[in-house]
Parts: sequence; structure tokens; C-alpha cells
Amino acid sequence: MEENYDLTLIIHRYDPDTKRSWKQTYHLNAGRILRFVDLFRKINEEEDPGLAWNSSCEHGQCGSCSVKINGKPLLACELLVENAVEYFGTTTFEIEPLNVAPVIRDLVTDIEKAYKRVDKVKPYIIQSAPLSEKGEAYSITPDEMAPYINATRCINCFCCASACISSHRGFLGPNAMLASIVRLMDPREMEKIERLRVLYSDQGVCRCHSSHACSFVCPKEIDVAHFIALAKEGRFGSKSQKK
Amino acid sequence: MAITDSVIKRLEMWILPRLAQTPVVSIYAGTRGWPFVIAWIHRFFGILLVIYVLFHIYTLSFLETPALFDHKMKFFRFFLFVLLEWLLAIPVIFHALNGSRLVLYESFGFRKDGLMIRRLLGISVAYVFFLGLWMLLGNQTVTPLFFWLTVSIIAVIPVYLVTGKIWKTGMPVGWKLQRITGAFLLISIPAHLLFMHLHPSIGHESDVVIQRMQNTFIRFVDMALVVSVLYHGGYGLLAIAKDYLESKPLQTACAAIISLVMTVFAWIGIRLILTV
Ligand code: SF4
Ligand code: SF4
Ligand code: FES
Repeated sequence: MEENYDLTLIIHRYDPDTKRSWKQTYHLNAGRILRFVDLFRKINEEEDPGLAWNSSCEHGQCGSCSVKINGKPLLACELLVENAVEYFGTTTFEIEPLNVAPVIRDLVTDIEKAYKRVDKVKPYIIQSAPLSEKGEAYSITPDEMAPYINATRCINCFCCASACISSHRGFLGPNAMLASIVRLMDPREMEKIERLRVLYSDQGVCRCHSSHACSFVCPKEIDVAHFIALAKEGRFGSKSQKK
Repeated sequence: MAITDSVIKRLEMWILPRLAQTPVVSIYAGTRGWPFVIAWIHRFFGILLVIYVLFHIYTLSFLETPALFDHKMKFFRFFLFVLLEWLLAIPVIFHALNGSRLVLYESFGFRKDGLMIRRLLGISVAYVFFLGLWMLLGNQTVTPLFFWLTVSIIAVIPVYLVTGKIWKTGMPVGWKLQRITGAFLLISIPAHLLFMHLHPSIGHESDVVIQRMQNTFIRFVDMALVVSVLYHGGYGLLAIAKDYLESKPLQTACAAIISLVMTVFAWIGIRLILTV
């Protein structure tokens, strides 16, 4: 195992002031356990302070650092240099912003625009089940939670949306649908009809072609396609049913 | 199935690494997974089949003038066309079986997708091989009524199962009809291909075709084929178009154009079936 690698990073740049897009090549020598966010920081410190990129938690928990590396959407804070070299079989990496919303600058996309699709499905409990008479918090048993616990791990990194064969034109996208499905499977949620209407609308699950790319790229290893298929199967009831 | 699966697994171990090195496939297999590549092949073959079906209905429309039909059909006896007709079995069986795999995954909860993909490839290879054999033999006789009665009875099974499973879900009606027509075509189109190659005259000689179409049941089956295939193809095209057209008016315009083309071809097909 090599200690250091000579890497070539071809980064897609965009300057909003001049509206110019270009690819910029950086050569750097990096240790094998550096992550890609560390490489971006290294570029900022040693070569080009102007390169813009996003991150927050840097522990795979917030979803803000997602980019496409050699075409694969993933979290830049999770990918180690040695793993990238092994996975892609190269030391040259082309890095692009996710294609889920307009680019603000370089690798930074307008995440608020991307989030609009998630907002559409109201990713919170719309109408909560009544609390117990003693006023205790509603508790969910592990058995109740088991069928959908994996889906609750979504961090809205939009990697799945970026990989999806259905693109992003008028389609809610896998993570937004997943957010709604989580609430449909949540015993605390009483408002199912409104959710099903959105899910079964022209922008919803009927636009999914079961290409499984979402499940393949999800950094949280959520089988997104499985949850979407549950909706297609009619597991959560129909939009016209009585409350 | 265990032996077949192990043979397919071995083949797969030999083929996949090689396939994964081919230019376009290598990018998508590694970044989106094999089912994504298969989804693209499904799309591509679907578009190809829609084009073929429209061409097929167009050539059949020459049946109105039998002499002209026989003249045109002479071209299809050349080796190259026979080869192309055989190769047509590849998109047909792949699209049919992959479509059924999707229905099994989406509506029947079959989650062993890798296993299903292996089986679909195995059955596809076997079908294409047997169709080739059929074509080489080329002198089988069976009455059309017997063949199509049997096929129809078999085709009713997936239609019944799929309809029962999906009809009460909240999915849009258009989507449901796409699946139901798909279930019918899953059996009837590969069977149609087999039937057409039982004997060269079945599809190439106007008097044989016209005589077959005098039977009411055959007419009914042919009409069901035309309507199902055009609806299925039209909905598929629209689903692809929607992935690229963001604006609602553009989507509506596209839906109108596709509906118009499909209706015109359905009209040509049905008129032909009822009048020859
Ligand atoms: S489902 Fe996975 S890939 Fe998609 S947004 Fe959530 S965590 Fe990211
Ligand atoms: S399974 Fe559906 S949602 Fe997931 S990537 Fe494929 S088309 Fe998109
Ligand atoms: S920075 Fe939070 S997931 Fe990468």
C-alpha cells in the first residue's frame, strides 16, 4: 500500500460574475487516508484560495459535501484517497457539482432550490397521533420501526437524485419520495391522504423506472428503490381511501 | 434452476468484467450499477421496438393490394433480412423479460433482483437460440386458431395476476394500463415471433396471411396486439420524454403528438384487420 499518491484533480469551475465555466487541473501529492474534502482544503491553502466547495459536519451526517467524482455522486467527506484510487482504478479524478440544482460557484450548488422538492412532500409529521392520556411522548416500538428504520437515515445529500435515470424535470426525485414514505410508515403520522396524493401524482412514484441507481449510490446504504417499490405496490393505501 | 443458475453465474463471471471495460458501459456500471445500465438498454430497445412496430404496420398495410405485398415481401427473404428478423428477437425478449422483472419487483415484492437479472439473461439467450432453430427448420405446421387460442389462454394468466395486484393501488390509470398491456405482450409478442417463423409463408405470402385473418378470433387477437403494443409503446415514449421536458405545456404537446401518431397507426392496423 502506498503512503502517498500523486493525484490529478480536474475540477469543474464556474464563476457567477463572468458566467464562465471551465475545467481546472490541480496536481497534488496526498496521503492515502486524506478525504476529498481535505484535498479541496489543501488546494485552497496551497494553490488556489478561490476554489469554492461545500461541507459542514465532515462526518457523513449533513449531506452538504456531495459532489460527483468520476461520474459517481458521493460524499467528499467520506471518500478516502486510497479507496478512490482502488474503486476507480486511477489517480486522476474529475470532480463536478451535483446536477440537482443550479450551480452557485464551482462545486457549490443552490441546495435551497434542490430542497424545494423535499419541501413539497412536507418531510415532517403533518398531523400527529394523539398523545397517551398521561401525556407521555408517543413511543414507537423497535418492531414498528424495523421496516423503515433504514430510510430514516437519509441525510438529503441528493446523491440519489443526481444518479436517478428520471432526471430532475418535474419529478420529486428519490430522496423527496423517501422522506414522504418514511412518514407514511411512521405510526405517529395521521395525515396519509395528502401524502399519497403527492406520491401518486404525476411528479411522484410513477416517474420512477426502478433503475436502482439511487440504492447503488446512497452513502447511507438505504435501499431507496425498495421503499419506492412499496409505494408502487400500494402498501400505504390509496389516495382516495377514507381517513 | 440450480444448474442453470450456476452456469449463468459462471458465464456472468466471464462476461461482466469484459463488459465493464467497454467504453460507455464502464462509466455507468461503476457509477450507477448494473440495473441502471439494464434500465437504459430497456429504454433503448423499447424505442427500437416502437420504430419497428410502426414500420411493421406500415408494411402490413400493403396487404390491401396483395400483389404489392408479395412483391415487397420478396425483399424480406434475403439472408440479411432473415438475419435481422432473427436479431429482432433480442430486443423483444430482453424488453419483455426485463419488463416482467420490473413488474415483479415493483408490484409483487420480488427483491432478489440479481437473481432475476441472471434468469432473464439466461432465458433470453435460450429464446433467441430456439427461435433461430425454428427459423432454420422453417417447415412446421400448426393451425393459427390452435396456436393463438393456446397463447391467449396463457397470456390471460399474467394479465389477470398483474391487474389483480395493481388495480386498487393509487398509481395513475395510465401507468396501470402500461403494466397490464405489458403483461399481455410478455407472452403474445415472443409467441407472435415464434408463430411467424414456424413456416416462411406464414408472414410472407399474402394469401396465407389474408386467409388466416378471416377468422374472427384471430382478428380479435391481432387487434388486441395492435392496441396493446401501440399503447404500451406510446406510454413508454411519453415516460422517457417527461424525463427531459420540464415544462407542462411541452409535456402536453409531446403527449398529444405521441397519442396522435399511435392513434393513426392503430386506425391503419385495425382497419386492415377488419377489411382484408
Ligand atoms: S437516500 Fe441516500 S443518497 Fe438519497 S439523499 Fe438520502 S442519504 Fe443521500
Ligand atoms: S429506482 Fe427510481 S428513483 Fe431510484 S434512481 Fe431509479 S428511477 Fe430514480
Ligand atoms: S460534510 Fe456533512 S456529510 Fe460531508
